Amino acid sequence: MGTANRGIMSNTEWRSFVGRFIGLFYLLVLMLAAILVLFPFLFSFTGGLHNSIDIVKPGFHLWPEKPLWDNYRDAWERFKLGRLFLNTAIAAGGGVIGQLVVSSLAAYSLSRLKPIGRNLIRAILLITLAVPGIVYLVPRYVVMADLDLIDNFMGLWLPYSASSFMILVLNNAFDQIPKDLYEAAEIDGASEVRMFLNITIPLSSSVLLVLGLFAFISFWGDFLWPFLILRDSNLQTISVRLFTLSRGFSLNLWMAASFIAMIPPGIAAFFLQRHAPKGGLTF
Amino acid sequence: MTSTVTAATDLNVNVTSRRRIHWRKQGVAYLFLLPALIVFTLVTWYPILRTILYSFQEVNVAGVQGWVGFSNYVRMFGNPIFYTAWQNTLVYVLLSLVMGAMVPIALALMINEMRGLSSFFQTIVYLPTLIPITVGLIVWRQIYRPEGGLLNSLLGLMNLPPQLWLQDALLAKPALIVIMTWIGAGGSTLLYLYALREIPTELFEAAELDGFSVLDRVLYIALPLLRHRIQIMLVLQVIIVAQVFTEPFVLTGGGPANSTTSPVLEIYNAAFTRTDFGLASAWGVSMLVALSAFSILYIVFTRKDLDQD
Repeated sequence: MGTANRGIMSNTEWRSFVGRFIGLFYLLVLMLAAILVLFPFLFSFTGGLHNSIDIVKPGFHLWPEKPLWDNYRDAWERFKLGRLFLNTAIAAGGGVIGQLVVSSLAAYSLSRLKPIGRNLIRAILLITLAVPGIVYLVPRYVVMADLDLIDNFMGLWLPYSASSFMILVLNNAFDQIPKDLYEAAEIDGASEVRMFLNITIPLSSSVLLVLGLFAFISFWGDFLWPFLILRDSNLQTISVRLFTLSRGFSLNLWMAASFIAMIPPGIAAFFLQRHAPKGGLTF
Repeated sequence: MTSTVTAATDLNVNVTSRRRIHWRKQGVAYLFLLPALIVFTLVTWYPILRTILYSFQEVNVAGVQGWVGFSNYVRMFGNPIFYTAWQNTLVYVLLSLVMGAMVPIALALMINEMRGLSSFFQTIVYLPTLIPITVGLIVWRQIYRPEGGLLNSLLGLMNLPPQLWLQDALLAKPALIVIMTWIGAGGSTLLYLYALREIPTELFEAAELDGFSVLDRVLYIALPLLRHRIQIMLVLQVIIVAQVFTEPFVLTGGGPANSTTSPVLEIYNAAFTRTDFGLASAWGVSMLVALSAFSILYIVFTRKDLDQD
């Protein structure tokens, strides 16, 4: 199994003349890619510093003559970004909790309790994975409306909780847990719930963490479903609100607000980098 | 034969006590499954069935108005937008396969070499995936703006003529694909990177000792070993790109001249702008049929990974 710190080239080759040349080439390309990737972030950051007239002036001007740092405080207040962050956190957080709870319970059942018909259930889950969510968007919306869940966070949490992907991945992860642990606990008289909470969950913590982080990130940026369900402007999430307000405010303030909106995911990315390799998320 | 008879008698002897234990355990098993079953039925399985039913009915805000047989389908196939949307999807898929397949693989190969710096690049490349999508899109709209936008300013600096980008019927789709690659390449790059790291380094060491150049090692060792992963990712990419909605919705509204519209955008229009839920469901079924082939391919390829019991 490969150890860290060598790629396709060995360390000796890396230090050779050809190796250094290739390494430099790679570095340049990656730096270019990094610039391209980061550019929109930089653009919105500096855009936020412009005044409202300069921002729409044609021409290549990145850093304004007089950076208006106040714009950021302004944007925070006028867009009510605090409220937006709260809403988005509630939507995403509740979705993650729902998804983790529902999926881990189901995966525990499929993996350890082995109900009759579990292969059929797994097959149905697999097929569900294959059907694009858009196909049943309309009836799903109607179901939420019938349950009176429009403008209600439950209207987001319920669909978010249904992830056949997570169930199948957790099923696989739970299968790796040695049966002896369960047998020992059974002899000691533990109930299934006890075993679930004290054996399965702690041993799967890294998979749960990584899956949870991925789910959080995807819910944070989600647009279409929150757009349809959360109509009330007090409840809207960041992606929806910044979209609806994109024409209502002057561009420079909007840029400032959007840069602020990009910060929490950046922090999440940092955490993901530290945990993802250990999560054993091999496909 | 005797062994089977003995086995059968053994079973007969034990069957009553086994059955008793069985039921209680089954009950608990299904109890654990219950939340999932309820949720899935409510938000997925019942809606899927409903969609198929709706496609044969006339449905609006007031509810189901009645059965209309195939007339929704007739209207859908009779509308030229249907063919435009699917043609656009084909172009989107092809463009994204070209741009979105090579870029992550190349990036992963390069990041893999960067001792120490790799986690820096990994974080950066994944950042666009994380931001709220509408935010990123509207920033990109500024970049693409015909008058005063960043790209045209850059072109101006190089004395090249400005382009209409998102408002140009020919350029709009590639412009959108660039954005979609920007958003999506990070995740793919990381997945390829993890796959690369699983390749035993002894293979590369041996090849290096045998005199294979770096390019050879990439082409004849790394890529063939990644083939399985690449296939899965490509199939997944087709499925995802075919469902493109947010980019054309936010940036072009399907235009100019319907050059960027997609089936999902048409579903949205039919359902939420014209409240013609029956027609929207017919479109939904068309998506279901079209993507089934690809989805089944995806399942076949990943079965080996998910099915490890």
